[in-house]
Amino acid sequence: MATTTPTETSGSPKRDSLLGARVREAGWGYAFVLLPMVIFGIFFIYPLGYAIYISFYEWGILGKAPGTGNVGAENYRTLFDDPIFRRAIRNTIEFTVVVVPLEMALGLLIALVINARIRGRLFFRSAFYFPSLVSSAAITAIAIYILNANGLLNAIIGGNQAWFGDPSTALWSIVGLNAWTTAGTVMLFYLAALQSISTDVYEAAAIDGTSTWRTFWRITFPLLKPAHFFVLVVFGIGALKIFDQSFIVSGGTGGPVYSTYTVVLYIYNEAFKSANFGVAASAGVVMFVAILLLTLIQRATVGRTDIG
Amino acid sequence: MLQTSTSAAADPYLPSRARSAIVGKIVLYGLLTAIALLYFTPFIWTLSTSLKTLPDTANFNFIPHPFTTAAWKSVWTDYDFKRYALNSLFLAVVITTLNLFLAALGGYAFARLRFPGREILFLLVLGTLMIPDQLRLIPVFVMLTNWHLIGNFSGYILISLVSAVNLFFMRQYFLTIPKDFEEAAKLDGAGFFKTFWRVMLPLAAPAIAALAILQFQGTWNDFFWPLILFGQGNEDLYTMQLGLVQFTFTYQTLWPQLMAGSIIAILPILVIFLVFQRFFIAGVTAAGIKG
Repeated sequence: MATTTPTETSGSPKRDSLLGARVREAGWGYAFVLLPMVIFGIFFIYPLGYAIYISFYEWGILGKAPGTGNVGAENYRTLFDDPIFRRAIRNTIEFTVVVVPLEMALGLLIALVINARIRGRLFFRSAFYFPSLVSSAAITAIAIYILNANGLLNAIIGGNQAWFGDPSTALWSIVGLNAWTTAGTVMLFYLAALQSISTDVYEAAAIDGTSTWRTFWRITFPLLKPAHFFVLVVFGIGALKIFDQSFIVSGGTGGPVYSTYTVVLYIYNEAFKSANFGVAASAGVVMFVAILLLTLIQRATVGRTDIG
Repeated sequence: MLQTSTSAAADPYLPSRARSAIVGKIVLYGLLTAIALLYFTPFIWTLSTSLKTLPDTANFNFIPHPFTTAAWKSVWTDYDFKRYALNSLFLAVVITTLNLFLAALGGYAFARLRFPGREILFLLVLGTLMIPDQLRLIPVFVMLTNWHLIGNFSGYILISLVSAVNLFFMRQYFLTIPKDFEEAAKLDGAGFFKTFWRVMLPLAAPAIAALAILQFQGTWNDFFWPLILFGQGNEDLYTMQLGLVQFTFTYQTLWPQLMAGSIIAILPILVIFLVFQRFFIAGVTAAGIKG
């Protein structure tokens, strides 16, 4: 392109300067996006391909294992043959299937209470949202304290259950913890959706003498359908990525007896405890495909936006 | 108002509609109280425990007896929480500054400058949102290891320099600014970078402030990447969250210290939240609607 410019000098000077301005603008445009694009390329887009590549090799802490080539689907076979991975998938799905409806129910309940023009609604909105902003490390440490065998929860309900120490309650305790913290964010989305419902429909219901309970189930709840769907998918994907709480509660072991072992914890332990980077990468690919499918389903069914 | 409703409740001749309104109020405030107890008790209990002595944690009194700040002093100095806090503060400030500068720079170019391939590059940026950290974990770790960027802060800073969400929001914000400002700057003979730096960046201050707060919070709270990139070995590099988890693993039953440490890990976020609540709440809702 640069070579053609001199031959065009016969054109009017005005056209020239216009062309020059265009080229200059484009040059600055590339200069501005260069550094961000390079980093997106190296640390986001390239790793997508590299992860798939690693997943087809026997890969240790020092890279490809010497003397081994492409092992095909071997890592994927190892993965799905591993009872710990299957347990991790089961735990992750059980966690997600229970925690998301709980977050939605609690979030919607709080949103309805706050939307009912209570006194100090701005204060309560902030207060209930706050746990969502607290680090997983701090909130889990507090949960470990409150849920220990001699903790506050047992003192209140009069039990002596070691909530995180018993394989039959450990995962469900993380469910309770995450539902409690995340409901605040869910509440904000429902609140935004509730505020976008026209008051006309409520006035009509009031004139008909419909009870509050019926109004909720017949009018409000169905009108919130886009919000339900949005929250379901977004927080469902978030729940599949559960890691911090499992790691902290179990000291990184996923215990007791694998009861808090999740897929991401499996990726972590395969890589950094067992140095099986190939298997860890293939578990990452499986996770990526699952999340991608969920996202595509969401995009296809509700489009990208409107939660109201 | 409360006065009239209580006296009305005693009136047996009240019409049924007014009575059901009162029942509604009671149910509403009953629910609010239950939710408030559920949400406030853990934090009050945490604060109370952090001001107790270890033997006193066996009792379920909310007022510490005796009252002591020993646990706070002990985690801050004996258990290195001061260093953890400084490390986290350093990382959060550096990453937030660099990340938002690049988000604004890129966002401005994608919003306003015309160059061939702009739409494709922007789609590529949005596409990175589909790539979860859990997939990037292994390749990024391998790459940073090969480049000797593991075991110090540089690798973490490098991978945190850009965020598609921040860049996207900066672009959206620049699109809402009228073009008159840039044209005036151009007439004054300002170049592209000067126009961006002197005119557009100040105009985008509200968006930058909102994203900076969220980015700071995200980096301060981050556990996943610090754990992977410098979570083993050198404790001098530990962030607040790594240090707190390490403490949780090692001294789990030193409850007053553990609770004091947890509050230290929460405190900066609480302060920022109290000052800038509006930004947080607007940011989250906008992210959802645009997402």
